[in-house]
Amino acid sequence: MTKHEKRNHVPKHVSEVVRIRNLEVGFQKQPLLSIESLIVNSGEVLAITGPSGIGKTSLLKTIAGLLTPLSGLVQVCEATSPQKPPRGTIGYIPQKLGLVRHSSVWANVMLGSRAGNTKSHSREQSNNAILAMGLEEKRNEPIKRLSGGQQRRVAIARTLAQRPKLILADEFLSELDEETSDRVVEAVMQYVSSSGAAMVLVEHDISRAREISDRLLVIDDGRLNPFITDTSIMEVRS
Amino acid sequence: MIRINRELRELLVSVTVLILGFWIILTLTSGLVWDWNGWRVIEPQSYPPCEANMFLQFTCSTAWIGMVETIKIAILATFFGMILSLPMGLLSSRNLFPQYVTYPSRAVVSACRSLPSLIWAIIFVIIVGLGPTAGILAMTIYTVGYLGKMQYEAIEGMNSAPLEAANAMGLTKAEVSFWVVIPETANHLIAQMIFMFEYNVRSGTVIGIVGAGGIGYYINLYLKFLQYERVAAYLLIIFLVVLLIDLVSIYLRSFFTDESENTKPTWSGVFLPPKDDPPEVVNIRDRIDPVTGVKMGEDNQASNPQQS
Repeated sequence: MTKHEKRNHVPKHVSEVVRIRNLEVGFQKQPLLSIESLIVNSGEVLAITGPSGIGKTSLLKTIAGLLTPLSGLVQVCEATSPQKPPRGTIGYIPQKLGLVRHSSVWANVMLGSRAGNTKSHSREQSNNAILAMGLEEKRNEPIKRLSGGQQRRVAIARTLAQRPKLILADEFLSELDEETSDRVVEAVMQYVSSSGAAMVLVEHDISRAREISDRLLVIDDGRLNPFITDTSIMEVRS
Repeated sequence: MIRINRELRELLVSVTVLILGFWIILTLTSGLVWDWNGWRVIEPQSYPPCEANMFLQFTCSTAWIGMVETIKIAILATFFGMILSLPMGLLSSRNLFPQYVTYPSRAVVSACRSLPSLIWAIIFVIIVGLGPTAGILAMTIYTVGYLGKMQYEAIEGMNSAPLEAANAMGLTKAEVSFWVVIPETANHLIAQMIFMFEYNVRSGTVIGIVGAGGIGYYINLYLKFLQYERVAAYLLIIFLVVLLIDLVSIYLRSFFTDESENTKPTWSGVFLPPKDDPPEVVNIRDRIDPVTGVKMGEDNQASNPQQS
């Protein structure tokens, strides 16, 4: 049974969380990636893969509203760019994690919780997220004293505590051992299936991406294509 | 015999050389330091009568009163300056706010920095009159200008990933500033504040000359009465106090660097040698080879007799 199959149930009301049309992502008017149409529904996990420097992270940042697209439309929860979706809608796990290094694990997780919840719920959500990531003993440790894998779990706990409608994760399983990786995937998938959130993740490891995602897309020649076989990826990479 | 480690020895030599150099320059230029009459500045004033006990009589001297007032001015100016400069530093950071906010904010910070604290002191002496209040206001304004610039440069240099994550979450600018930017740059901000205090103590000695309080007031007074030997004594006291504050400042700042996790200094570490003696450096020729059990030097000599 794959981790994807472990998900308990599919949300009853499927709605569009991300809608992209005629999008061009790039820098200094040079398009890096063009997407004609892409829709991510609630409860769906979309994985994007492809070689380095092809625009995967830029696409995530554009969906998060951190990069302005060259042209086209990006809609997240019915808020069209440059308009921002409601507070706490997007949970972003950058490749570099984006943790506050001098603050404690608790302070970092509370940051996500503050973005997504009212005050009364935020402490409870943070506690649950810390427990889910197995960080209860590191709760008061500053981030700079944690290992790379532990820091990654803090970043994921922060996003879980936020309870966003869209999770954008950039290589969120790297630096994790097999056992921890399974635990993290289970917690994230549990959240996605129970809350009906959507997830867009960038992953280099194709077998892992296939295992946890509903759809796997490959960026090839500046366009998003559906994944066909492992051989096709090898061809793209070569 | 007391063993002194290398760092402390270098520190002591540097301090001694500096003091001797300063003393020699003063002696060569005027011979004032040898005029012990000048050191009456550390004797208690005749009026008001000193109520301190025998060992604390120096606290009634003009040198002590002036120096303490200067330090108080520096503490208050740094405190108020920090409170005012932090919002200015945040508003001036281009990675947090758009240009229509950063430009006016930077203009204000630059304006505060454009005049030296001495000129600000003259302006505030005119506005609020003689005394330490003018000094505090003058140095607060200058601190805002100086510290504000250092702060926005530190904020702009911070890692962008935490800001990106916080912005994507939808946190407000105030929340990002309070929960992300300030904790992430705290080490820099504290180190800069300590540096600014040190700077304010130095400049606080000067602003008294225009009537803005502190030890400068007494220097100006004795200059007018042509009592240069007393002025020289004050200068030497200022030099020693500033040197002491510099050392403490270096020590305090060392707590707020990323490396401090591994090499956190002890309080006594600045002035005293460490308790554990450093391991003695063994000459490579005296080391014993773990395999053969003979001294490395001997082994080399045996294998290469021609070299010896």
